[in-house]
This record gives sequence, C-alpha cells and structure tokens, in this order.
Amino acid sequence: MTDHVPAVELAPDEVTLLRFGAVTRNTHRIHYDTAFARSEGLDGPVVMAQLHGCLFHRAAAAFAGEKGRVLSVAWQNRAPAHPGDRLRVTGTVREVDPATGEITLDLVEHREDPGILCCRGHAVVVLV
Amino acid sequence: MLDLAEERARAVLGRWEARSLGVVRAGAAAEFARAAGESARELVDPSDPAFVVHPMYLVSLLRGEPGADAGELRPDGMYRDEVPGTDGLDVLLMAGGQEVRWTGDVRVGDRIEVRRALTAVERKHPGLLLLTVDKTYSAERGLLVEVTERFIVR
Repeated sequence: MTDHVPAVELAPDEVTLLRFGAVTRNTHRIHYDTAFARSEGLDGPVVMAQLHGCLFHRAAAAFAGEKGRVLSVAWQNRAPAHPGDRLRVTGTVREVDPATGEITLDLVEHREDPGILCCRGHAVVVLV
Repeated sequence: MLDLAEERARAVLGRWEARSLGVVRAGAAAEFARAAGESARELVDPSDPAFVVHPMYLVSLLRGEPGADAGELRPDGMYRDEVPGTDGLDVLLMAGGQEVRWTGDVRVGDRIEVRRALTAVERKHPGLLLLTVDKTYSAERGLLVEVTERFIVR
C-alpha cells in the first residue's frame, strides 16, 4: 500500500458551475453572479463547497480502488476557488487501524498558480 | 444583525425537522456525476450494469423535485431556511465545510427523507457566527448518510 493518495484534478469553469448548480438546485448568487459575488467581498463567483467535496471523494475513492469503500469524507473551506482555477487534491496516509482495516487519509486541495490552499480535510476508507 | 441571527439560531438549537428529497432517479444521479467532472461509466451511464449513484449526490442536493417557489429564496439566491436563524436578515452566508459519513449505499428508487437540526452556535468574534447543522438521509431501508455541515454567517 502506498503512503500517498494519487492526485486528482479538476478545472471548473463557469459552465461547470452552472451545470453543477442546476443539478443540485443551488441558486446562491455567489456561484454565478460576478457583481453580486464582488459585493460580498469575493474576487468573483466561487466554486460550490459540494464540488470541493466531490473532488475529495474522488481522491479517496481512487486510493481505495475498485473494491475498496469510502466510509467518510470531511473538508473545511479555507480559501475560495474561482472558475478557471485548476484544483488539485493530494494526500497522505495518516494512520491504519489494524483492528478494523480502516485507513485515514489527510487530504488537501490547492488551486494551482499560485498554489493557495482551498480546502483541508480527511477521509476514511477500507480496502477489501 | 448578527446578534439577531445568533438569538434566533439559539432559539432553534436541537430542534429536528424533516423534508422529503423525493425519489432517487438514475438519470439525475448520472447528470450530477457528469456535472461534477466524473467520467467513470458506472457513475455517468445509467445503462451500465455496474451503475451506482454517486455517493456525493444526495448530500449535494439542496432541494428535491419540483424545486422551490421563488418565495422560498432569499435575495442572495439561498433558500430562506437553509441556514437556521437567517431568514429575512441581511447577512452574508458562506459554507464552512462538511463531514459526510456513509452508512449505506444510496440506490436508484430510494425515497429519501432528510432530517436536520442546528446543533451548535458559536460566536467566533463580533463579526462572525459559526453554525453547525447535523443532517441524516434515510430511505425505507434505514439510515444511509450522516452529515455535519458548518455555515459561516457574517
């Protein structure tokens, strides 16, 4: 078993946010209304928290493999990500519980250029 | 304004409420997976024999069909009842993070009920309120997902 979580990436653009907002019925204007987002002190529309969560889940699932399972995923939002940012989740193994086989992963998500930490969290997986 | 939001939030601490998210449909789950950037056939193609509902689908869905009336939304586009205590107040809302714990697989055809309660109210500093909401997602088979979600109110 490797100590590192394979990196996963996503570069959401405005269309991504529109599609994701539509299928989740998320109508919060900070995700699509530039003027409104700026009025709230943001640089522009921001990526939805749940989309960050999806990337964390994908990283955990990739580590767990086809027969493994993701038991939990947690993340804290640290800095907003905007359309056009390339998001990259990486991680390492924090601990392995020999009694249950559960593996806890520490995960971080950065937006590349200039490498700002967007989310920090963890996941618990089991390998079957 | 934040004082009022805090007062309102503390008044509903621990009060559980329930809402239907409707029936999980394969097409909607696949559309979600595609919108999230997935390409694995078992997530994006309902005709694939190995098709499964994306585990993040339910917990990302803010409303079930047929959606909300315009009157259920704040001027900022958030649902009026999404963040307890903030309905009608001119406050800024942001997601703080989530913890999602899966106890069962979500299946196509599951009729989902989501229950939630505000479980913590913290005044981090004079200009920031942190609210913690616990949620459960259940089908007739039983509990499927538990979520702890944090909202930042400024």
